[in-house]
Amino acid sequence: MYIGGIKLKKSLLLVSLIGLLVAGCSSTPLDVSTEPSDSSYYGVDAATAEALGLDELRGNVLLSQRSVFFDFNKYDIKPEFQDLIGAHAQYLNNHAPARMTIKGNADYRGSHEYNLALGQKRSVAVKEALNALGVDDSQIETISYGEEYADQECQADACGQDRRADITYEVE
Amino acid sequence: MYSLFYGILLLFSTPIYSLEVIEILGGKASEIPIAIVPFEGSGNISGQKAHQIISSDLNRTGLFRPLNIGGISNPPSNDININYTKWSAMDAQFIVVGKVESENRNTGNIKITWSLIDIFKEKTVISMRYIGKKSQYRAIAHKVSDNVYEHLTGSKGVFHTKIAYVKKFNDKKYSLNVADFDGFNSKPILNTTQPIISPRWSPDGEKIAYVSFEKKKPVIYIQNLRTGKRTLLANFKGNNSAPAWSPDSRKLAIVLTYNKNSQIYIINADGSGIKQLMRSKSINTEPSWAPNGEDIYFSSNRGGSPQIYKVNIENDEITRVTYEGKYNLSPSISYDGKLLLFLTQDQGKFKVAIQNLISNQILKISEGPSDESPLFAPNGHLVLFAYKDYGKTTKIGTVSINGLKRVPISVGNSIIQEPTWGPINN
Repeated sequence: MYIGGIKLKKSLLLVSLIGLLVAGCSSTPLDVSTEPSDSSYYGVDAATAEALGLDELRGNVLLSQRSVFFDFNKYDIKPEFQDLIGAHAQYLNNHAPARMTIKGNADYRGSHEYNLALGQKRSVAVKEALNALGVDDSQIETISYGEEYADQECQADACGQDRRADITYEVE
Repeated sequence: MYSLFYGILLLFSTPIYSLEVIEILGGKASEIPIAIVPFEGSGNISGQKAHQIISSDLNRTGLFRPLNIGGISNPPSNDININYTKWSAMDAQFIVVGKVESENRNTGNIKITWSLIDIFKEKTVISMRYIGKKSQYRAIAHKVSDNVYEHLTGSKGVFHTKIAYVKKFNDKKYSLNVADFDGFNSKPILNTTQPIISPRWSPDGEKIAYVSFEKKKPVIYIQNLRTGKRTLLANFKGNNSAPAWSPDSRKLAIVLTYNKNSQIYIINADGSGIKQLMRSKSINTEPSWAPNGEDIYFSSNRGGSPQIYKVNIENDEITRVTYEGKYNLSPSISYDGKLLLFLTQDQGKFKVAIQNLISNQILKISEGPSDESPLFAPNGHLVLFAYKDYGKTTKIGTVSINGLKRVPISVGNSIIQEPTWGPINN
């Protein structure tokens, strides 16, 4: 569902509505049935939103880019993704409570298990690029989906969409 | 999980041939022409008839050429008064004859009496009688195939075994199914909304280990086939995948990541005693236990592209096994330890290949383009694998290890993938 041009998960909205009803700590007048307050908008209280820098996370163009793409059977990070990784590294370094999960993927070609390992290698490659920019391991978890959510009928270049690592945050 | 019927041996002689997997791979064995004569009295049993079941069983192996004898008049149903000259003229080296009768009107049990006859030597090789329920008709026909196979090759048949596979209905519906090796009598043992991969049947036949994405990441379960109950074997940080049973079914090799690359660990089947097998900065995955219990074959990109290696579990000594081709993965070893089965990329196509571990000769036994998940039958004479039907939907089938016969296993219209083969169960 879209609110103010930003995609919100249903569960997040639910949390925000509950937070609203219980806390009612919004700074602006509210109409529950129309639009949630700033705090409910983030799904967390204002102090947490501040500590996590959610304004920055949502407003920054580079931080809104979440996918790093790779070549077939490759896991080295191409130069064009350095800015994206640099922005996320800076965000993590500036906001110690932020927690990132990197989810690696692979195209369908080859075996399910090797693709799971390849997807993991890709998520680890992104993590190590962040480490190199000073990010601590405790802020990052790496997992892989392998080819399990990939397009099983892609042809040639179209399969490139599945060779990627996706960055997600615990709160975003 | 097998329902019982019993067989009585009426006449028995020692097997005629002894055929090793190496001989089959070398292509020295030519297809044996054999006629499976329609069994007398099988007309009133519904579905496929015994002679059709036996023919299609033997046909899958690539070692037999079942003859088309559709128009034959007065087919024999026992080994008395066989017209050897006539069968010899039809190029039959062996024939199988039989009869289906009602054994007991009250219980509805059936009795199948059959013989395997050597036309060249003009003598009966074996005669047997099976008694069982009507619902065991297919199972009894498969046992006849097993006996014919064992007498003509010296190895046990795999026609009375089970397979399991993953069925993907859509992005939100998956099941793990168990079926007869030819796809009949299929039933789900697990239904879930998330992907299932890498099912592996325990060598003792009692359990299946598999990887599930139910917890939003891969974790390993072991499901008991008798009770239907399952236990979580591994749910460590990161990914948990690629379960591989030890030959004694007491341990598994698994792959864990924590926050690093995929590495191989050994864990007891009850989830205790986890330890890392070896350390490297590269991917180590797809472990597969050699029958000697001492070596684990695996795929790794330590040399750049994925290749197959083996590691001795006592001393961590690593040996590279595949050198030909740039992309080799999914290793498994035949039950005599002599053949390596794997997936190889050949001119952009993924094909199933076999490497003779003594001569290192390689034979590609499938055509691609997107074949995967090859595993040996429990006698090492057949391979179960997944392929893309018409280049689109993944299905499963068998391919003989000489590469001559590729036959689908029909289990429905959905995506069928990640098969595993249960042990021979007498």
